Formats: sequence, structure tokens, C-alpha cells
Amino acid sequence: MDLIGQLLHLFVSGDFWQLALRNAALLSLPALGGVICERSGVVNIAMEGMMLTGAFFAVVAAQAWHNAFLAVLVAAIAGGLMALIHAVVSIRFHADQIISGIAINIGAIGLTTFLNAKISNFQGLPQVDLSARLPQVNVPLLSNIPFFGEVFFQQNIMVYVAIAALVLGNIMLFRTRLGLRVRAVGEHPQAADTAGVNVYRLRYGAVIVSGLLSGLSGAFLSIGIAYIFNDNMTGGRGYIALAAMIFGKWTPWGAFGACVIFGLGDALGASSGALSVPLYFLQMAPYILVLIVLAGLVGRSTPPAADGVPYTPEAE
Amino acid sequence: MTAPTAPPQQREDAVRPDIAGWVRRAAKAMAVPIGSVIFAFLVGGVIFAISGSDPVLAYQAMACGGFGLFCFGGETPALQVANTIFFLTPLIAAGLSVAFAFRAGLFNIGVQGQLIVGAILATIVGIRLGNWPGIVLIPLVLLAGIIGGAVWAGIAGVLKAMTGAHEVVTTIMLNYVAYNLLKFLVVNGPMQAPNSSAISLPVSQNAQLPTFIPANSTFFGQPGGVYHVDWGLLIALAGAVLFFFIMRRTALGYEIRAVGQSQRAARYAGVSVRRTIIVTMLISGAFAGLTGALMISGGSLHYLYSDLANDSTGFDGIAVALLGLNSAIGVVLASILFGALHAGGSVMQSDAHISGRIVQILQAVILFSLAANFLRTLKLRLPGPGRKVAEPSGEEAVQDEFQAEVSSAATDIDGKA
Repeated sequence: MDLIGQLLHLFVSGDFWQLALRNAALLSLPALGGVICERSGVVNIAMEGMMLTGAFFAVVAAQAWHNAFLAVLVAAIAGGLMALIHAVVSIRFHADQIISGIAINIGAIGLTTFLNAKISNFQGLPQVDLSARLPQVNVPLLSNIPFFGEVFFQQNIMVYVAIAALVLGNIMLFRTRLGLRVRAVGEHPQAADTAGVNVYRLRYGAVIVSGLLSGLSGAFLSIGIAYIFNDNMTGGRGYIALAAMIFGKWTPWGAFGACVIFGLGDALGASSGALSVPLYFLQMAPYILVLIVLAGLVGRSTPPAADGVPYTPEAE
Repeated sequence: MTAPTAPPQQREDAVRPDIAGWVRRAAKAMAVPIGSVIFAFLVGGVIFAISGSDPVLAYQAMACGGFGLFCFGGETPALQVANTIFFLTPLIAAGLSVAFAFRAGLFNIGVQGQLIVGAILATIVGIRLGNWPGIVLIPLVLLAGIIGGAVWAGIAGVLKAMTGAHEVVTTIMLNYVAYNLLKFLVVNGPMQAPNSSAISLPVSQNAQLPTFIPANSTFFGQPGGVYHVDWGLLIALAGAVLFFFIMRRTALGYEIRAVGQSQRAARYAGVSVRRTIIVTMLISGAFAGLTGALMISGGSLHYLYSDLANDSTGFDGIAVALLGLNSAIGVVLASILFGALHAGGSVMQSDAHISGRIVQILQAVILFSLAANFLRTLKLRLPGPGRKVAEPSGEEAVQDEFQAEVSSAATDIDGKA
């Protein structure tokens, strides 16, 4: 009874939902990247590594130029370059995309830790200074609305970027000719090729976009939330985004829904002081919830038909 | 339990082993992984040179740390070899876990969680029954770990078989449940050891695997206690033998491989795909749970610690399985390499002052070149059994795939390369 009261109290607090939305937005960027990438037929389990690379280079760039915008740009490019490796290996060389993805994730830990030690002489990079942090932006007027204003319009700038990316990504995938082609390439590349669609170019583009978005998310984490780079600081968030993508059945808003569940769980963990439940059970909650949903309601999710199948024109 | 149509080649194989053919196939299968490793070391040399370190010195330190060769920093070679064995033992078991699931076309990305649940149960048994004699207790500890891992992975298997829930999602979710369960138990929880933080009590002496080098002896000028080489190595190797036996000599193994090649074809052949998925995940989880038990009963610590949630053994197992082409022998060989790299990295850091993490870049390059098969692109294409890139569709494909599975039953050391 007491617990229900505490939870209700939490659920009507703007702070709580603000935090939940921020965490959801952080995860939704790589999840959206994964959706676009896999819709084009390239399996991507490498969001973790791309995110970590973005997080590291954001801090390095912030240190160098004291400019958050440049740091975000560098992070996106760094993520995009990692994605380019995945693209070349899996599209040009027809590699097993799981192996390539795992290689990106391991390589990103190695690369960032190695460079971190090299640059800072094993001391670790210092905190990001104020001028290079991603700011919170309060939307004029709207942010004054009680509750909703706090949740939706007093957020870090990257939250707006993430929501905009979701809207645009969804429109791109399902309302434009480009999106139709991306999906065609992921479902039946031979047919798309016959119809004059350039399979390789679309797949390269989709993989690189997933890297750009994951890199953005990494920058959000390192210079928008933590203000410092720690080795392996993404701590599996890329894998959570991967799960969100599959749970959301390879749709942007479905994936975002899953991200909200995980974001709520993170926010619950952060507010555990206000609750009389052991912290670690709270943090388990979103994962158990997803398992229950999978067991009872959602069930089977079918990937794009050509997901993970390298394309060669000669075949067939 | 019996497969309806036993492949004729396999039966013949069992009667009259074709040794020369086997060697030829093995050499062919290993050409790409070995080439990938060489390629990675060349790339690594370039990275060392660019970052202003001496590649020769770096590799010398790595050879010392990995295999006790060419040491120059006063290390004891035998101890370096022991360190490599210490690292590679859990890698074998974790790699077998991932590879086993891959054979059925399942991606078990949750070995870390399964390993943790196994370690938790192993620790509980090792503490609670601490005064039982080792000959009874150690098998019980290992069994507890195996059961823990099997149950944890089994949840994902049942969900996959019953509702079609994607095993990548469910095993990732189960990872996080396991991490939090571990932290609940050892961070100010019921299993936290008194007057300490975030660790449990160690399991009793009786629950610890015997070591090859007695602690009170002196071995190569070092006290025996610093060598953590225990029976875990033999148990992990026995696991590899069991893996090989199940895959190649039982109807279950045949069914698993059939499901891995094509679920539809397997169904036509009368295999229960659901049952195979569940059994595969149970066995895959059992290997993962064994990994956890070996890390508690063997190794150096013998207790639970909260950082086990950030440990990378489970994820390294994925890399080991992939490099080992999902075969038992391949997993063992890949574990030796990754174990040596891991051990070599730390010596490189102390002797050559290069971050030991560079070995992870090497691991990544190995996997890239393995996956991309750069060598094949450099070399002229070998005419060989066609590696189908795009799957054909329809009834014909089912027939084709089934034929392919039957005829390749003997040569599947190639795995999913």
C-alpha cells in the first residue's frame, strides 16, 4: 500500500518523466539507426561500438575546441566511420554481419581505451568544461506549462534532436520514395535491382546513417549527461537499443516505445531513494516487463526478409 | 530422438575414417583463420609504429606474456604460460556455449548473464555444503552452475519456441536481470561477506578445484600459490569433447545442425524444431553456467563480486566461437589465442608501456579479416563446393538445402564461415 503511494507520487512528478524521456531519447537514436540499417538488409549489432566511439571522440573534440557543436559533429563522423567499416566489410566483402558487428564492438573498446591511455598518459581525460557541454534548452512559453512543460520542453538539446530524428526517420522510411527503396532492398534486393534501384548505394547509406545516429547518442552520453569519458562508458546501451529495435519490430516508433520502457526503468533506479524497494529489483523491472510482454502479447517479430544476406547480382 | 534419414556419408565415415581427407579438410578450414591472425598482427605492427612504439618490442612483450617466450622484463616464463591457461579456461567454456547455439542458428548473446546465474548457484552450494568432502562437493558445485546457466538460457529457449520471441532480445534482457540479481545479492545484500563490500564469502576449500602445482611448493623459483592452473582446464577440454560428440555422433546433434541450416527443411525431415530450440538453449546455457562455476571453483578468487557484471568473458565467448568457426576444436584453438593475447596485453603494458587494450584492436582485426575473407579476395578464387550467398526460395530451395546439409554433414567443420 505504502509502495503504491510512493509510486503514484513518483509518477505525477515532472522530474521523473523528464529523466525517463531523456534516457529514452538517448537509447532511441541508436535504435532508430538500427531500424534504418536493418530495413536495408544489413544486420547491425554494432551500435554499442559506434556509440562508444562517438562518446570518446566527442570528449576529445570538446577538449580541443571547447565547442559542443563541433564535438557533436566529430562524434557523429566518428560513429559514421565505424559504420563505414561495417558497411565495407559486410557489403563489399559479403562478410558475416554478426562477426563484423562483434568486431566493431570489441574494436571500439580497444580503440577508445588505447587512445584514452595514449592521449592522457594513463590518467584519463579530464571533465568536459562548461562551454563544451550540451545545454538544456527551455522552449519559450511551452516550458512554462505545468508538468508537460517540464517533461517535454525543458530538455537537453539532444532530446529534441532525437525526437526530430524519429519523426523524420519514420517519414523517410514509410512516406518517401527513398524509404520505399530502402525497404525494397531489405526485403528483396534482386527485385529492387531489376527495377533499377542501386542496392549497394542504399545499403552503404543506411549503414552509415546508423553510425551517425549512434555517434550522436554517444556524444549525448559523454558531453550531455556524464561530462566525462570513462572506459566502456556505454555499458551495453547499444545492446539495449538493439533489443529495442527488435522488440519494436523494426519500426521507429515501436523501437521508441521499447526505449521508453527502458528509460522509465532507469528513472526508477535513479529515484530509488523515494521508494521502499531494493534498488536492484527496480532496475530489473523494465527487463522483466519486456520478457513478460514477449511471452504474453507480442511474440514473434519477423526481420526484413533479406536482413543479413549479402547481395551479389549474379545470384539467381 | 532418431533422425529419420541418417546421412549415408556419415555412416560410412564412422566405419572407415578417412584420415588424409580429414587432414586436408582441417587444413583448408584453418587456412582462413590463421591467415586472419597473421594479417591482424601485421596491422597491429603498423598501429604500434604509428603510435610511436617499437613493434618488435611490443610483440616481444606479448610473446612473453602469452607463451613465456623471449621475456626481457624478468618474468618467469612458466608463470606467463600459467596466466594464459588461467584466461583461456573460461573462454573455452564460454565459446562452446555460443558456438553450440550458433549451430542451431540461435545467437546466444546472453552468456554473461547465464554465467553469472551459474556462478551464484555454484557459490551458494560451495558455501552451504562447505564441509562436504571435495570429491562429492566439487561435482555438485559444477552441477549447480550448469543448472543455473541452463535454466537461464532455457527461459529464452522456451520463449523462442513458444511465442517466437527473438533470442537476441530475451537473452539481453536476461543478462540485465542477472546483473541486478548479482548486485542485489552482494552489494549490501544477503550474500555480502561481513566487513567487506560488494563481494561474497569465498566457497570452502573443499569446493575449490585442485591445482596442478601445490600452493606450498616452489615452481620455477615462484611459490606454487601464484600459479592458478587447476583442473578447470581439463573440465573445459572435456566439455569440448562432449560438444564434438553431441554434434557429430548423436541424433540430437544432427537435428541441431539441420535446424541451423534450414528450419523448414528440418521440419520436413520430421525434426521437432521447437524441441530442438529448447534443448539447444538448455545445453548452450549449461556450458555458460559451467563457465561461471569454473570461475568460482577454479581460477583465483573463489567468491562472487559485483564487477562480474562488467566482466567480458561472455562477450569474448562470442568472438572465440566465431573465430573457431563454431567447431569444438576451433573454439579450443581460438581460446588459446585469445587467452594468450589477454595475458600478453598486460605484460605489454608493464614492459613496453603500451595500453594492453590494444589486443582488443587485434581481436577486432582478426574477426574482420575472418568475416570478410580478405585473403580470398587477394587470391584467385578456389573452385570448391559452392558457398551460396543468396538463398534461393521456394520448394526447390528446401530440397536443395536439405541435400546440401546431408552431403555436407561430414565437412561441416567449415561451420558458418
